[in-house]
Amino acid sequence: MRTVAIFSEADRESLHVRQADEAFCVGPGPVARSYLNIPNIISTALITGCDAIHPGYGFLAENARFAQICADHGLTFIGPKPEVIAAMGDKATAKRVMREAGVATTPGTDILDSIDEALQAGERIGYPVLLKATAGGGGKGMRAVENSHDMERAFTGATAEAEASFKDGRVYMEKLIIDPRHIEVQVLGDEFGNVVTFGERDCSVQKPSHQKLIEESPAPHLSDAARSVLLDMAVRACKHVHYSNAGTLEFLVSGHDVYFMEMNTRIQVEHPVTEMVYSVDLVKEQIRIAAGEPLGYTQADLQLRGHAIECRINAEDPTNNFAPQAGTLTKVVFPGGPGVRVDTHVFSGAVVPPYYDSMIAKVIAFGASREAAIARMERALRETVVEGVSTTIDYCLEILATPQFREGRYDIGFLPRLLAHAVT
Amino acid sequence: MGQGESLAPMSDEHPLSPVVRRVRGLAELLVGTDLLRLRIEREGEAIELGRRALHPDQVPEMPHDLGAIETHPVRADQIRADLVGIFHLSRPAPTEGDLLESDRELAFIEALGIRNPVRSRGAGRIVTIKRGDGEPVEYGAVLFEIDRG
Repeated sequence: MRTVAIFSEADRESLHVRQADEAFCVGPGPVARSYLNIPNIISTALITGCDAIHPGYGFLAENARFAQICADHGLTFIGPKPEVIAAMGDKATAKRVMREAGVATTPGTDILDSIDEALQAGERIGYPVLLKATAGGGGKGMRAVENSHDMERAFTGATAEAEASFKDGRVYMEKLIIDPRHIEVQVLGDEFGNVVTFGERDCSVQKPSHQKLIEESPAPHLSDAARSVLLDMAVRACKHVHYSNAGTLEFLVSGHDVYFMEMNTRIQVEHPVTEMVYSVDLVKEQIRIAAGEPLGYTQADLQLRGHAIECRINAEDPTNNFAPQAGTLTKVVFPGGPGVRVDTHVFSGAVVPPYYDSMIAKVIAFGASREAAIARMERALRETVVEGVSTTIDYCLEILATPQFREGRYDIGFLPRLLAHAVT
Repeated sequence: MGQGESLAPMSDEHPLSPVVRRVRGLAELLVGTDLLRLRIEREGEAIELGRRALHPDQVPEMPHDLGAIETHPVRADQIRADLVGIFHLSRPAPTEGDLLESDRELAFIEALGIRNPVRSRGAGRIVTIKRGDGEPVEYGAVLFEIDRG
C-alpha cells in the first residue's frame, strides 16, 4: 500500500516524511495553518490520488466535519462514520448516549454555553468539578475547579485552549471524582455490527495536567468482576451506536464504582501496549475495517498474553512543571532487543519545534509477567539516550522504581502527589 | 623573471632547463588570472604566452554544495504557493524574461475546484518559472522568481 504523508514546514525533516512514498507540505508550523488546514489536506489527498485518509491520533482525528468532508470528496476516512464521531466524539453528547445505553456515567452536564451556566451547574453537581473540552483529549481544554470563585478563569481558559487546539471551544462539566483510576477499554467494530474488545489499559500515571505518562495492559489488581463490567459496558455502548473502526472508552474506577468518562473515536497514543499483549496490528485492522472487510474473528479468538508497559518520552523538563522543550536533539539512541518497541519520529540532529505536543517517542516493553515487563522497561530506558533537550526518561525510571508502581497500586493522584512530595 | 637570466630559445636541456621552468612558471601565473595573453620583453628578447578563451560550456562547474549561500539574482523575489493544489499558468501564458509593468495575475492554483490567483505582486522581470503547467504544488513551493531591479 502506498502512502502520502502531510507535514508542516516545521516537520519537513520528520521521519514520517522520509518514510512515506510521497510527502506534501500543507502549511507553516502553527497547527491552525497546517495540520488543521482541511482544504490543504483534502487537496493533497485528491491531487496525489489517495483513496483513504488515516487521521492519526491528534488534530482532526475526532473531527466529524472533517470525516464528512472526506466522504463528500470520495475519500474514505479511516475511522467511524461522521455521525458516530459527532455523537461519541462529542463528549457531552456521548455521556447522554451512554446513559441511554444503560452505561453508568459521572454526574455532569451537557455543553455549557456561558460562565453563568457553568456556575449554576457547579452548585448543582457540587464542587470540585472538572471542565472538559467536548472535542478534546490529552488534557487540552481541561480545568479542575475547586469552587465558584475559580470558575470564570477556568471557563475562559478551558474554552480558549479548546478552541486553539481543536477548533471547537465548547466545554462541559462533570463531577471531579477524587483519585480514581483511569482505565480504558480498546474496542474494534466493523460495518456488520461485530464488536470486540482488546482488554483494558491502566492510564492512571498522569501529570497534573491530566496528560498520560505511563500506560500498561492489563490493569494491575483489577478484579475479574470489575473487568467484566468494563468490557461489557464497552461492547453494549458500541453496539448501541453501531460503532465501527477503532475506539476507546475511558472509565473512572473508584473502588467498586465504574463510571463512563468519555469515548475517543480514534486510535490512541497508547495503543501499542494493547498490540503487544494481543499480538494485533490495530492500525492494520482500522484500514481493513474502513475498506469494508468484516473483523473475521470473535471475542473468543482473542487471547491476552503477558503484560506490556509504555513510557512516553517527552521533550519536557520534569523539574520545571514538565515545561515543553524545543531545540535540536544532538544525540538520540533508542533501545532494542526482544520485547522492546519504539515508536518515534525523531533521530540524532532532529529539531523539536515549539508548535506541537512534546512527545518525541514511545518506548514499549513486553514481558510474560508484569514484573518482567517492568524489568525490561527499566533496561530499555537506561539504554535510551536523548541529548539536546530535557526529557521524561529519568523521571519515568523514578516512577517505575516507586513502591506504588511496583505494587501496581496507584491512581490518577499518584503522580501529582509524587511531584508535590519531591518539591517539599 | 629573475635578473640576469637569458630568454634564449629552448635547448636540448629540456625538460629540466631553467628556461622551461620559467615558461611553466609563467604559464601557471597566466592560469591564475583572467588574462588571455602575457608578453614579457627584455634586452631584445621576448616570450609571449597565450590561451584560448573558454567556451561557456567549458567553464568549470561550481561545487554543488554551497551551503546556505543563495544563488538567486540580486533583488529576485520568490512567489510561493500559499496553498496546495494544481498549478496552472494564466493565459496568455507568461514566459521567462517577460517584463511586468505592474501587478498582474501570472498563474492560478486550482484547489477543491476553486481558482486561486497567483499574482506578481508588483512590477519586475520574470527570471524563472519554477513549475510546469498542470503540476501539483505543495504549500511554500517556489512558483516564480521575479527580478525587481
